[in-house]
Amino acid sequence: MIAHAPILAIVVPLFAGFLTPVVSIVAKRFGVERARDWFVMGAAILMLLIVASMAPAVWRGEVLVYKLGGWSPPWGIVLAVDGLNLLVALIIASVVSLIAIYSVVYMERDSGLEKYYTLLMLVTAGCMGVTLTGDVFNLFVFFEIMSISSYALVAFRRNWDSVEAGIKYMIIGSLGTSFILLSITLMYGLVGSLNIADLAGKIEAIKATQPLPMIVPLMLTLFVVGFGIKIAMVPLHAWLPDAYQAAPSAVSALLSGATTTVGVYAMLRVSYMLFGALAIGTMFIILGLVTMVVGGLMALTQRDLKRLLAYSSISQMGYILLGVGFGTAMGIQGGLFHLLNNAIYKVLLFMCAGAIVYRVGTSNLDELGGLGKNMPITATLFIVGALAISGVPPFNGFASKWTIYVAGMEAGQPICTAIAVVMSALTLAYFLKAINSMFLGQQPEHLREVREAPLPMLFPMLVLAVFCVVLGILPSLGMDLVRPAQGAVMNQLGYIGSVMGAG
Amino acid sequence: MMEFGPGFWGPIVATAVMLFGVGIAYLLLLASRKYIAPKPSSEKLKTYGCGEEVKSEEMHVDSEQFYSPIRRAFKPFYKYVQPEHSGVLSTYLLWVIAGLIIVLIAVMLALR
Repeated sequence: MIAHAPILAIVVPLFAGFLTPVVSIVAKRFGVERARDWFVMGAAILMLLIVASMAPAVWRGEVLVYKLGGWSPPWGIVLAVDGLNLLVALIIASVVSLIAIYSVVYMERDSGLEKYYTLLMLVTAGCMGVTLTGDVFNLFVFFEIMSISSYALVAFRRNWDSVEAGIKYMIIGSLGTSFILLSITLMYGLVGSLNIADLAGKIEAIKATQPLPMIVPLMLTLFVVGFGIKIAMVPLHAWLPDAYQAAPSAVSALLSGATTTVGVYAMLRVSYMLFGALAIGTMFIILGLVTMVVGGLMALTQRDLKRLLAYSSISQMGYILLGVGFGTAMGIQGGLFHLLNNAIYKVLLFMCAGAIVYRVGTSNLDELGGLGKNMPITATLFIVGALAISGVPPFNGFASKWTIYVAGMEAGQPICTAIAVVMSALTLAYFLKAINSMFLGQQPEHLREVREAPLPMLFPMLVLAVFCVVLGILPSLGMDLVRPAQGAVMNQLGYIGSVMGAG
Repeated sequence: MMEFGPGFWGPIVATAVMLFGVGIAYLLLLASRKYIAPKPSSEKLKTYGCGEEVKSEEMHVDSEQFYSPIRRAFKPFYKYVQPEHSGVLSTYLLWVIAGLIIVLIAVMLALR
């Protein structure tokens, strides 16, 4: 492991974000503007290497505890890395690295790119901070860094739609983060600690008393709703379609692949680790099903590709909630495997949408058609992503969805499983509509001269498509990645013991 | 190989079988092209509607109506839920409050 890896994984993107404007000025002075892009790409890849260096120790079963300033928990702030947050950190670092490569060409027509890259790095630092911290107030602070940078990125192009979407996202998102802060305040008032492991132990002791203080369910509710807004769980999802449609596709990919993943992580960490609340699994199952159905039915009628992908993102969150809601080892494995797969194919699909927008200038399905001849590689990659998200074998989506279905049957929930299977078919239906509208059929005159997307945009898409195939054909690789995370979710006492024992 | 209770899924074997099927289908397609080689004239490729030539731009299936039978099957959803996705911020905030109340009731029932 690289020395000080947990803190470096946060500090590298944070410092890279603040250094980007300086690098940009220097690069302009010397006439090498691309140096700024290379700098951000380098920072993202360095962060990925740092995170990956922690993997061997964590996969051996260790919980890496990093004490900031040498202060022992619960008095000082600690970073605690177990299987769950390592998986999420790996997803974030990989997604951001690929988006940094993709952005080099995709964003080249925009101005103010030093701001874009600064915000990209700040979102990344926020995501990493939320993921790796073992302190609940730190979690809130990094969650705010991530959220506020995301609002600005959604409004980056400063046209009417993006500013409106950014403001809506900001108002609803701020309400969510206010709920989280209120819950943290109530929790501190109740037990007098902010360390997650310490809190978990103390809340467990309080839960053993009868009757349970009214404030405990209220705290959990505020957390679930706060994080539920970030993952766009129905009925807290309304901000998402506008934001994903109006944002540049690279930003939509970042939001769907990184920030949503962080939202799911935070919800799992709080509800399962902090409150040990396997009992609220039924609530997750019901909300998961509602999210799945509403997202799917809304996606079916969309005219805009990015809006369709946005509703599809909501629908896929339903599968993840359903899997973890079953509360069994296989259900949580399936949910986390789907979280990993969702990050892969959703980023791929948004990148494909970006490639189309880059070449054609619109994502309106009614204005597209016959692009399969002009953009064969993009079309193939989109089809791979579409089949993967629809759960068609042999792609990765099938492996994770099937795990969730089997977990559902084993948990005695055949109706929930049947609804999930039907919604998977519906997913295939709306993606077939998108494929038909974009790549097949008659080609409008104005699309005759459209060319394939540039290579730097195709490369990250190709990498993601390869992952869709490899994790589908060799699902045991994905399961091996996910198993330590599932073990961490279910091992509350091990986490508490490791963190508090580090004192 | 992934094993689940009494069932299992062999992704490599399944992929090989699917690729074999795709190969056979492709060979059949190639073979059929030998005998039915379509060579339409440019006039035959034109599309007419009500006696007028329809341009390729105008021949797009409406994306919103693409699955109109499914829309009919889920009529209550599209009648009552879809219009609520109106883009009006105050409605969305009301949803958040409704969500808060629903989750609070669910959590209280679960943890009681």
